Amino acid sequence: MSDLDDFKATYFDECSELLTELEEQFAVIEEGERGADRLNAVFRAIHSIKGGAGAFGFTALVGFAHAYETLLDYVRDGRIELTDDVVVLCIRANDIVADHVNAAQTGEALPADYGAEEKARFDALARGETASDSVEEDELDGEMVEEFDLDFTPVMVNLDAPKPTGEAPVEDVFDDAPMMAAEGQWEIRFTPHRALYARANDPLLLFRELAALGKMNVRAILSDVPPLSDFEPFGVYCTWEITLVAPGLGEDAIREVFEFVEGDCDIIIAQAGTVPGLVSDESEMAADVSAEAATDEPDLSSLLALTEEEVAAPVEPVVPPAAFAPEPPAAEIGPQDSFDEAPADLSFAALAAEIAPAPAPAPKVDKPAPVAASAPVAKPAVPTGGGESEEGTGRSVGVQSIRVDLDKVDRVVNMVGELVITQSMLTQQMDETLRARYTELVRGLEVLAQTTRGLQDSVMAIRAQPVKSVFSRMPRLARELATKTGKKIKLETIGENTEIDKTVIEQLSDPLTHMIRNSADHGIESPEKRLAAGKPESGTIRLSAEQAGGNILIIVEDDGAGINRERVLGLARDKGIVAPDITPTDEQIDQLIFAPGFSTAEAVSDISGRGVGMDVVLSNIKKIGGSVHVRSWPGRGTRMTLRLPLTLAVLDVMLVKVGGGPYVVPLSSIVETMQCSRAAFERVPSGGRVLQVRGEYVQVIDLAQRFELSSQQNPDDQFVVLCEAEGNQKVALVVDDIIGQQQVVIKSLEENFESVDGIAGGTILGDGNVALIVDVQGLRTSPIHQNAA
Amino acid sequence: MTLRVLTVDDSRTILAMLHHTLSNAGFEVLQAEDGKQGLDVLRSQDVDVVITDINMPVMDGIEFIKNVRATGQHNSLPILILTTETSQDKRDQGKAAGGTGWIVKPFDPEKLISVINRVVH
Repeated sequence: MSDLDDFKATYFDECSELLTELEEQFAVIEEGERGADRLNAVFRAIHSIKGGAGAFGFTALVGFAHAYETLLDYVRDGRIELTDDVVVLCIRANDIVADHVNAAQTGEALPADYGAEEKARFDALARGETASDSVEEDELDGEMVEEFDLDFTPVMVNLDAPKPTGEAPVEDVFDDAPMMAAEGQWEIRFTPHRALYARANDPLLLFRELAALGKMNVRAILSDVPPLSDFEPFGVYCTWEITLVAPGLGEDAIREVFEFVEGDCDIIIAQAGTVPGLVSDESEMAADVSAEAATDEPDLSSLLALTEEEVAAPVEPVVPPAAFAPEPPAAEIGPQDSFDEAPADLSFAALAAEIAPAPAPAPKVDKPAPVAASAPVAKPAVPTGGGESEEGTGRSVGVQSIRVDLDKVDRVVNMVGELVITQSMLTQQMDETLRARYTELVRGLEVLAQTTRGLQDSVMAIRAQPVKSVFSRMPRLARELATKTGKKIKLETIGENTEIDKTVIEQLSDPLTHMIRNSADHGIESPEKRLAAGKPESGTIRLSAEQAGGNILIIVEDDGAGINRERVLGLARDKGIVAPDITPTDEQIDQLIFAPGFSTAEAVSDISGRGVGMDVVLSNIKKIGGSVHVRSWPGRGTRMTLRLPLTLAVLDVMLVKVGGGPYVVPLSSIVETMQCSRAAFERVPSGGRVLQVRGEYVQVIDLAQRFELSSQQNPDDQFVVLCEAEGNQKVALVVDDIIGQQQVVIKSLEENFESVDGIAGGTILGDGNVALIVDVQGLRTSPIHQNAA
Repeated sequence: MTLRVLTVDDSRTILAMLHHTLSNAGFEVLQAEDGKQGLDVLRSQDVDVVITDINMPVMDGIEFIKNVRATGQHNSLPILILTTETSQDKRDQGKAAGGTGWIVKPFDPEKLISVINRVVH
C-alpha cells in the first residue's frame, strides 16, 4: 500500500467520523439549538473534509465543500441568518458531501452537476453579503508614499494570492554586470517594524533567501537611530538597502521572499536605476557587504554590526531586540560539516570562522566592520529535506486516546476468550478429592478465574462503542424515505449512548436500515390516512437501544398501521412458507415477515430497491448471535426488537446433552432448569405440547425430536430448561441431561458451514468436541415446520 | 542537529501527511490535535518551529498563537499557519496574533520544506 493510499484510508476514516458528527450536530440544530459551538463544530467538520479532499485532488468534493464552508462561515459570523430554510439546505448539503466522499472513496462518478443546485443557493446566499468585502491596501499605500516622500509609485508586496515560486537561475551570475537599469537588477529598501520581530520573522533569514536568488549587496542604514535621550531599548531603527543582481530574476520572486513580512515592514522594490536615491551612496551607510549566492558565503552578520560612530549607542537598537530574536553567540554554532550536503544553504558556521580575519571572497567593506560581541548570528541551518537521517517518529503528546488497529484488539479478544475457556476447563477438572487435597491450587484457580473475568471485561470494554455511530445515520434515511414516500416521518432516537461491541455495531447498520425502511414503507400511513384514523399527521419511528442483562435490545417502533396479517399469511401460503393445514397464531404470522423468501411486492419494488426482504435482517442478526422479534398491533403500530449479545467473543452457556451429543443454551435466555416426567407435558389441540409451570402454560420443545435425534432418556426423568424468548414468552426445552455452566467462544455456522434452523452457531468445547448453540427464539417462532408430536 | 516541528491540526489526515513529509525531510515531528494540546507540548518540549491549523476544536489556531506569544517564552519561535483559506482573513488574523508565515493547503512537500526553511535559522 502506498503512502498515499494510507493517507486516503485515514482520510476516509476521518470523513466518516466527521459526517457522523455533522448528523449529530444538525439533529440538535434542527430542533432549534443554534449555539456558536455547534456552528463552529459544523464548520470545522466541513473544513477538514475539504482540506483533505484538496490534498488528494477530489476536486468535485473540494468545490462543493468550499461553497458550503463559505456559507457556514457567514452563518457563523452572523452575516447570514440561520433560518429553518438554511438548516434544511445544510442538511441536504451534508448528504451531498457524504455522497461526494463516498464517490471519491469508491471511485464511482457522480453526475458533473451533482449538488450544483445547492451550490448555487450557497453562492446566492453568500453573494448577498459580500459586496462590501474588498481591498484594504489603500491605507498602506498612502503611508508608504508619505513616509518616503518619493515621487514614484512604490511597488507593494502584494499578498492577495500565493505567488508561484519564482525560480531564478543562479548559476549564471554576471560578475561585472553593468550598473544600469536592466532586467534582473533590483534595488530594495527594507525597514522592518517591530511587529516583524514579534512574529518571529528575522531579516537575516530574508537576506539569506535573497542571497539565494542572485548576487546581493546589503547596507544597513542607521541614520534613524535617535539620540540616546530618545532611545527606546526595544525600538527598531534599522533600514536596509539591498541591491540584487540576477539575470532574469522577476519581481515576483523577490516579493515572495517578503511574503510573510508584508505589513510588518516598509518595503520598496524597484528595477535598478529606475528610482533615484532608493539605494543610497556611500554617505550614510554603516556597513556594506556583498553576498554572492551559491558560490560564496555572504558575511551577513556584519550587516548587523556597528561602525565606530554608533558605538555610543547601545548595541541593541539595530539588531532585533533581545526579547524578539534568537541570538545565540557565534561560539554556539555547530560544526560546518553538518551543512556539507546543503550547498544551496548559506553556511553560517563558515561565516563565523571568517568574520574576524575576513579573507572573505570580495567583501566590499567600506569601513572595517568590527563585530560586536553580541552581533547576532544565525543558528545552524536546517536540514534541507530529502535526507533520511532521522527515523522521524512522530510523538503524540498530550493525547488521551490511542488508535489501535482493530486486528490487534481482536487478537487479544480471541486469546482472552481461549484463556477464559481454558480456565473454566481447569476448574471443571477439579473434582472433590482433588479439591480437598490441593487447597492452595484451588485458591490459585479461584484467583485465576477472577482475574480472567476482569481481563475479559476490560478487553470487551475496549471494543465497546456507543450505538450512536449507527443511529446517527438513520435520520438521513428517514428524511429520504419521507421524501420518496410522500409521508411525514419523525425519527426519534433513545439510548444512543448504549455501548455494544464494535463488530456488532458494524453489523447493525444494514438490519436497522431495512427495519426503518420497512416501517416507513409498510408501517407509517400516508398523512391523509393518518388524519382519517385520528392520528397525528406525521408518523413516528422510534429507534431505541437499551441494555437488558447480557443483551442489548435495539427496538424499532412505529405508530403506523401494524402488520396486515391477513395479507402476510396469504402471501406466505402462496409461497409455500406456511402449509395450508396450519393455522399460525397472530404472533407467528408477524414473524413471517422475516421468513426467507417472504417479501411483499412493495418491499421489492420501491423503497428498499434492492429486492431483498426482511429475511436479510434475520440472517444478519443471527450471524452476530442475535435474534429478532416482531410484534404488531393492528392500527396502532409495530415493534421490532433486536436482541443482541453484549459481546461476540464469549458466551455464557449451559451445556446440555441431547441425543447423546453436547449442545449449549445461552445462559442469558435461561430462566430455570427442572426435572420432570414426560407425563407432565399436556397436548394442546394444535398438536403441540405445553408444560404447566407455576400456573403458566409453556410451550414444550423436545430438542431431540426437533433435531431428529433419538433420545435415550427415561421418559419419566426428563430435564427441562426453561427459557425466556422475546416478549417474555417462555419455552421449555426438553433435554437428556444438564451438564453445567461454562463459557464458550462463538463460531459462526454461516461462515463455516451454513445456516441451520434452530441453531445460532457452534463452539468448540474444552475437550475439543464441537457443540451447537441452541437458538431459543428461532425454535419458538418457527413452529410451522414442526410436525405435531 | 535535528530540528523539531510541532504540528497542530485536528485532522488526522493532515497530521499524517505532515508527519510523512517532515520526517522524510529529517525533521522530528511532534503532534497535537488542538491548540490546548499544542500549548501542553510547548510547556514540556523545546520546539524549533510550529505548524498550526486555524480551525480546531477546544482551542483554535488563532488563540493558540496568541497564547504562545503571551507566554513570553516563545517570542522567536516561528509559527506557520496552515490554511486552506483563499481569503486573506484568516492569514491576517493569524499574523495579527503573532504568526510568522503561512502554508496553503493542499501543500506540496517541497513547498512545505522551503517555507519552513524560510523561517527557521
